Amino acid sequence: MMKVEATAYGDRKVFSVSAFNRGVATWLQRLPTVWVEGEVTELKRHPRWQSVFFTLKDPGDGACLGVSMPRGQYDGLRLDLADGDRVHAYGRPELYAVRGEFRLRALSLERFGLGDHLAALERLKRKLAAEGLFAAERKRRLPVWPRAIGLVTGNDAAAKRDVLTGIQARFPPANVIVAETYVQGPRAASAVVETIRRLAELTDVIVVARGGGSFEDLLPFSDERLVRAIAACPVPVVSAVGHEQDMPLCDLAADVRASTPTAAARLVVPDLGELHDRLDRSRAALGAGARRSLDRHAQRLAEAHDRLRRAPALLLERRRATLEQTAGRLRALSPQATLNRGYAIVRAGESIVRSAEAVEPGERIDVEVGDGRFGARVE
Amino acid sequence: MSSEPTFESAQRELEHIVQRLESGDAALDEAIALWERGEELYRFCLGKLDSAQGKIEDLANRVEAAKP
Repeated sequence: MMKVEATAYGDRKVFSVSAFNRGVATWLQRLPTVWVEGEVTELKRHPRWQSVFFTLKDPGDGACLGVSMPRGQYDGLRLDLADGDRVHAYGRPELYAVRGEFRLRALSLERFGLGDHLAALERLKRKLAAEGLFAAERKRRLPVWPRAIGLVTGNDAAAKRDVLTGIQARFPPANVIVAETYVQGPRAASAVVETIRRLAELTDVIVVARGGGSFEDLLPFSDERLVRAIAACPVPVVSAVGHEQDMPLCDLAADVRASTPTAAARLVVPDLGELHDRLDRSRAALGAGARRSLDRHAQRLAEAHDRLRRAPALLLERRRATLEQTAGRLRALSPQATLNRGYAIVRAGESIVRSAEAVEPGERIDVEVGDGRFGARVE
Repeated sequence: MSSEPTFESAQRELEHIVQRLESGDAALDEAIALWERGEELYRFCLGKLDSAQGKIEDLANRVEAAKP
């Protein structure tokens, strides 16, 4: 490194302008070569000049950066740039020592139009997709009844109003923590990332809502840092950014994508009316179920009681039938039929006389015939 | 003492009880106990719905309030 000489006036070290500029210029050479994006203005090219000069302007906040580029190199690119064209300049910071002007010494320059934007987004999308950031299995279910909902939105956004109105109409008990932040411009991506990080500690679902805007307005929502922050967020994230056709990358990383802020509201809270209805239905079914259960037990009891009451009568009936049957069999065995044919039964006292030896002359006997009985005496 | 159930878990239990009762195979004592528990859960859920008060606050204020 070049040594910068200072003159000493007593105890004060003093640099000449030239030495100061050279010193700073030398120090600046340590900075790396980078890409810078901006709009070209004040383009100055002269055939006698070694370099072309222009100013790069930041379309977000108007910040300016002077750029010089070797003329031969610039001409070789045949960019045919006009004021307002968006470019990417590749170079390193330098101090033009003669004038003490800080600027970017460009080594290369690329026109960066809408198509290039889209191509860059597409590359990023493929890279993040390859990492699995958008995979369906990463998506988390939203809580049914969140204790607190975080809302990331711009400060006067219609999107904010739509989400809040939607949430309150559907579920008045909802707790919402609103975080207003930049939702466009160069600071938006890091502001949204930081806001999401803070809200994640206080809520159990986060809605990122931003209304429609130009392609460039929505670019922060495709910023790699923001997309990664949404994918890594510890609580589920609903993305309601831009319109249906915009599809910023944050939509792909979010757990759920809502087509509008109002749709996002429907996703993050239950419908209080529906909850009431469902509860009422459960209660009606509970009553009916309990009644049915009791009725069934009562009916079983009544049936048992009925059978119990009929049991003695049934028993008697069965006995009577058995008796009749026995009686029938008894009747079939009776000697009446034999007596009717002319036989007689002779009894002496209680005994039936079966032998002539069993009776004495003069003894009284009973004779039974078919239709009755009479007394007689043995001779 | 168990902590208070969430609305969702209470609602799930209530619906489970209804199913059990509707199947009709609960013993009498059990059926009565289930019904009582079901009513209790219903009142709990209803209370949750009726008492919940929502609020909308600002993250900036929230952070301000959290400062000592």
